[in-house]
Amino acid sequence: MPGIVTVYHPSGHDDSSSLVPFSADTNSPIVYPLHHGLKSPIAPRLSISWSRGNSLRVSVFRSPETTDTVVDEVEVGGKVVELKLSGEYLDSEINDAAQWRRIAYGSVSPFAHLQNKKNAMAALSELRHSAPYDVDWSKYVLEYSREINSLLGSRESSSTSLIEDPKMVLENVEEPSCLKAAWELLEIFYADKQSQAWIPEQLVDWLADYDSLFSEQVPSVHLILVEFQAELINIQAVEDESAYWQAISSALAVGWLDIVVKLLRLHGSYQLNQLGNRETENGLVEAVAVLISKMPRMRADLPDGKLGECYYNKSDFIKAWEKWRAQITKLDCSAFWLQCSHHHTRENLKLLLQIMLGNTSTLSSATFHWVELYIAHFLYIRPFTSGLESMHALAQKCMQLQPTSSPHKLMRLMIGILGENTEVVLAECSRSFGPWMIAHATELLTAGSIQAEILLKEERHNLGGVSIEESHRLVYAQVLSSHALTWQIAPIYLISCMKHGVGLLEILLYKQPVYHSQVLLKNIEICRLYDLDSVSANAMKIAGVHHWKHGRKGAGVFWLQQAGDEVRLNRIAQKLFDFVGKSISDESFEQWEGLIELLGSESRTAGGLEFLHKYRDFKKSLQQVQDGVLTDAARKAGEALILLMKNPSTPQRFWLPLLYDSLKLLNWQGRPLLNVSQTNLLLNKLEELSVARLRPDFVEVGMPAGALNSVRLALATNLGCAILEE
Amino acid sequence: MATETLKQFHRLPLSTYVDALRFLPPLSAFDRYVVVASFNSDSDETSIEIHALNPSTLPILTLQSSFTLSSRISSLKVAQKSLQNPLIAASTFAGSLHILFPNPIDVSFESEVSIPEKTLHLGPISCLDLQENGSACVSVGEDGRVNLISVGDSGLDYRRIFDSKGLVSYTAARWASPTEFATGGLGNSLQWWDQRRPGGPVSQFKGNWAQGATSGVVHSIDIHPSRKHTCLAGGSYGTVFAWDLRRPQQPIILSGIDVGEPMSSSSISESEVWEVQYDTFMSASNRANISSERVLPVMICSEDGILAVIKQGEEPTELLAENCAINSFDIDRQNPSDVICSHEWESIAFLTRA
Repeated sequence: MPGIVTVYHPSGHDDSSSLVPFSADTNSPIVYPLHHGLKSPIAPRLSISWSRGNSLRVSVFRSPETTDTVVDEVEVGGKVVELKLSGEYLDSEINDAAQWRRIAYGSVSPFAHLQNKKNAMAALSELRHSAPYDVDWSKYVLEYSREINSLLGSRESSSTSLIEDPKMVLENVEEPSCLKAAWELLEIFYADKQSQAWIPEQLVDWLADYDSLFSEQVPSVHLILVEFQAELINIQAVEDESAYWQAISSALAVGWLDIVVKLLRLHGSYQLNQLGNRETENGLVEAVAVLISKMPRMRADLPDGKLGECYYNKSDFIKAWEKWRAQITKLDCSAFWLQCSHHHTRENLKLLLQIMLGNTSTLSSATFHWVELYIAHFLYIRPFTSGLESMHALAQKCMQLQPTSSPHKLMRLMIGILGENTEVVLAECSRSFGPWMIAHATELLTAGSIQAEILLKEERHNLGGVSIEESHRLVYAQVLSSHALTWQIAPIYLISCMKHGVGLLEILLYKQPVYHSQVLLKNIEICRLYDLDSVSANAMKIAGVHHWKHGRKGAGVFWLQQAGDEVRLNRIAQKLFDFVGKSISDESFEQWEGLIELLGSESRTAGGLEFLHKYRDFKKSLQQVQDGVLTDAARKAGEALILLMKNPSTPQRFWLPLLYDSLKLLNWQGRPLLNVSQTNLLLNKLEELSVARLRPDFVEVGMPAGALNSVRLALATNLGCAILEE
Repeated sequence: MATETLKQFHRLPLSTYVDALRFLPPLSAFDRYVVVASFNSDSDETSIEIHALNPSTLPILTLQSSFTLSSRISSLKVAQKSLQNPLIAASTFAGSLHILFPNPIDVSFESEVSIPEKTLHLGPISCLDLQENGSACVSVGEDGRVNLISVGDSGLDYRRIFDSKGLVSYTAARWASPTEFATGGLGNSLQWWDQRRPGGPVSQFKGNWAQGATSGVVHSIDIHPSRKHTCLAGGSYGTVFAWDLRRPQQPIILSGIDVGEPMSSSSISESEVWEVQYDTFMSASNRANISSERVLPVMICSEDGILAVIKQGEEPTELLAENCAINSFDIDRQNPSDVICSHEWESIAFLTRA
C-alpha cells in the first residue's frame, strides 16, 4: 500500500481529529477528512483496513510509552472504530438509499424466475435440438420486463378529487424517473415482440409520460404546458393569447389529443353569452376539435381518456387515414373561414390543420427538441414507419432539424437503440443508470437478438475470460455485497455467473462476520441453497473457535461438532480435561451436565470428548452405588470403568483418579465385581502409569499420597478373590 | 400443502430493517398500535417505534413515537401491567435491557428504565420474556446465564438464578407461570425451571433425536396458558416440536425431522423457524377439531419466507410464501384473524384471515 496515513488535528477542535488518507497521486491529492469520533490524543500506532461493505476499520493501538498517562477509561487493548463511507449514487434522481434497496429487493424474484426459466428452456432445447428462443420465451421476457418496470414507480394519478377541474389541463402525476423511462424504452424495442408493429404509437405514449424529464435540459412541450397551466387562471379570453395557441399546437404536434381538445373547449366562443355572435367561429373550433378527436391511430387500443380511433389492421387504417385527411383538406378549403372574424382563431386553427396535414415546417416550429419532432413525424407524416433502419434515418433527419448541443441521456440511449448498436446501448445504460440497470437490462437486449447475444455472452480475454453479461452481473453483485442489508441477495446474481460466480460467492461468505449468530445462520442457509457444504463447515469452525475463545464452551463445542472438525474437538478435549481434571472427584462436576448433554450419543462426532460422555455414565452409576448398596448399579459402574479404561480416548492422567474413585467397587463386599482378565487389564494400566511417571513430561495430578498404593492393594485383593471365584 | 385464503393482505414498505414487531395491547377501543424494533442502516440507528395501524381497506402505518437505543434489538416483548398500562421490554445485542412505558393516551414514551450492558450478560442477550402482568422478566444469553429481572415501581432489580459459565448457551426463554419458565438452547435442548426449586433446571429435554436433529438451535418457545405442561419450540431445519412434561423424553414433532422415519412428518420449511406462537384464531371447523390429546394449532415463520399454521396430524396451512425471510410475526390477541409480520426486505405485511 503506497498510501501513508497521517494524523491531522484541525485547529480549534481539540476534542476531534480527522484522518487524512494521503494519495500517492502527487499531482492533485484529494483530501477527504473522515470524522471518526475518537478522542485525541490518538496513539501513534494506527491500522486502517476495509471492513464490510463501505466501512473503513480504524484500529488505534495503545502506545507503550503513554501507558501511565492514559486515562483509565481507555480500554486496555486500544480501540477499533468503523467508519462508513457513503457512496454517491449514479442516478441522482433516486438518491434515497432505501428506495434503491427496495428496487434491488424487488428485482430479485423476477430475475431469479427468468434465470430458472432460461435454464429449463436450455435443458429442453438440448433434448429437442431446437433453437431455444420461441414465442414462450419472449412472453417470459416481457413478463420479467413488466415486473421490473412496476418496481420503478407507478404512473397513477395522485389527485383523487372526483370533480374535474376544467382548467386543469395536465394531470397531476408523480414525477417520473429517468430510470423508468429508460427501462420502458428498452421494453418497447426489445421485450415487447407482440406490439412490434406499433412501435411508433408506443413511442407517442412514452413521450407523453416522460416528456417532462427532458425539461431539465431543453425546453419541451410539457414545460410549455406547465407554464401555460400556471397562467391560465389569470387569463380572461384565452383565444387572444398566443401562449394558448402555442400550447395547443405543441400538444397537437406530439399527439396529446385529449389535452388539445380540452384546451380548445376553453375557447371563448363556447361561452353562452358569446354563442350568438360567434356562431361560425365556434363551429370552426368545434369542427377542428371533432377532427382531432377522430384521428385514426394504428394501435390495438387506447387507454381511457385518450382520443382517436384505433385500427388494428393496416388496410383499414389506410382507408380511415385517407378519409380523415380528405376531411381536413375539405375543412381547410371551407368558405366559413372567411366569415370567422376573430383573426387569432382563424390563423391558429388553420395552423392546427397544417399540423394534422403534416406540414414539416409547422411541425418543427411546434416542437422543441428532436424527439418531439420525431414523434410528430410518426403521427402526421409517416405513420407506417417500421424497421429500425428507417426509424434511425428519420431520427437522424429530425436531429438535423432540431439540433441539441448536449443530448439528454434518454436521447443518447434512444440513438443507441435505433442505431442497433448494442455496445452504445450498454455504455449508455452503464454510464447514466448504473450497475443495477445494466445487470437487469442485458436480459432484454439478448432477447431474440442473436448478435446481441453473441456480443454479450462471448468470453473475453480483456475481461479475465468472462463475458460482458457476466462482468456486469459481477459488478452489480459487488455493489450489493457492500451493504449489510443487501449482501444476502448478491448470491442470486453470483450464482448466475458461470465463470467466477461461485468463487466470488465463497469469498463473500467468508467475509461475513459469522461470530454473530444471525449472520452465521444466514450463511449456513445460503450454503444450503447452493450446496456449498465446505464453506458452511468453515463458517461453523470459525464461529466455534470464536465462541470457545470467548468462554462459551458449549457453543464452541456445538459449532465445531456441526462442522465435524475432529482435529479441533480433540484439541478442545485436551483443554477441557484440564478443567475436568480439577473437579473430577468433587460435586461440581454436575455443572458439566449440560455440556455433556450437548455431546449427545456416541454416534455424533465428539472427538476426544467422547470420554466425557462415558465418564458421566460412570459417575452416575457410582453415585447410585454410594446412595445405597445396589449390586446391579455396582456391576454397571464396574463395566463403565472397564469401558473407560479400555477406550483409547481416555487420557492417561485420568487413569489414577478414575481408579481411586472406584476403590469402593474394587473392595466390593461379597463377590468381586471384576473378573481376572478385567483386573489384569487394570493392573497393567497401573503399571504403565508407574512407568510413565518416570518420564520427565508426566503431569502429576493432585491425588492423596497413598492413592497409588491403595489402588494397587485393592486391585490385588480383587484379583485374589476373582481367582478364587473362578 | 393447503393455502389459506386471506381476506386482506398488504405489504407496507419501510425504509428500515425490522428486527421484531408486536401488537401493543389495546389502549382504547379504536386505536391499534404496532411496536416495531427497527434498524436504520443508513444512519446506524436502532429505535423502538410505535406505529398506529388503521385496518381499513388500505392499511397504513403512521409513526407515533420512537425511542432510540444504542444497539440492535435481539428480543422484543410487550405486556400489560394493569388495564391500559402497557409496557415494552427489549434486549439488545450489546447486552442491555430496556423497559419502556408508553403513555396510554398518546403512546409517547414517558419513561424508561434500563440495565446497562455487561451487567446481566457477557455479550448479547439472546432472548427475554415478560410475564403477562409485566412484573418480571427473564433473560438468557449465549454466555449461559439466566437472570430474573423484577419490574417494580422503583425500577429494575435483577437476580442471577443460574450461570453455566458458558458450558451451556441459551437462545430462547418463555414464562409458563409466575414461578416457572422454559428455556431453549443448542442441540434442540429445552430446560424447565422452577423458582421454587433453585440451583438449576428442574427438568431437561434432550429427546431421542434421530441423527441430524440434535444439530438444531431452538429459536423460539411458546407455552399456552391453559396447557402449561406442554412446551412448544421451533428451531433449525424447519423443526417444530412440542415437549410434554408428562412424557419428557418423547417430543411430539409437528414439522421437520422425525424420529426414525424421516418421511413420516411433513416439513413445511427446511430452514430456521424464527418464531412459534400458538394460533388463537379459530374458525368454526377448527373449534370442532380441538381435543385435549392434540397440540393446539401453531403459527410459525421461517427463514425461507413461510408463514404457516401447523396442526397436529394435519397438512400445514400456508398463509404466506415470500421470497425473503420472515423474521418475526405477531397475532393480534383481540382480533386473532389479524396477523402482522416483518420481512427481511425492509417491509411489514399485514394480513387478515377469512
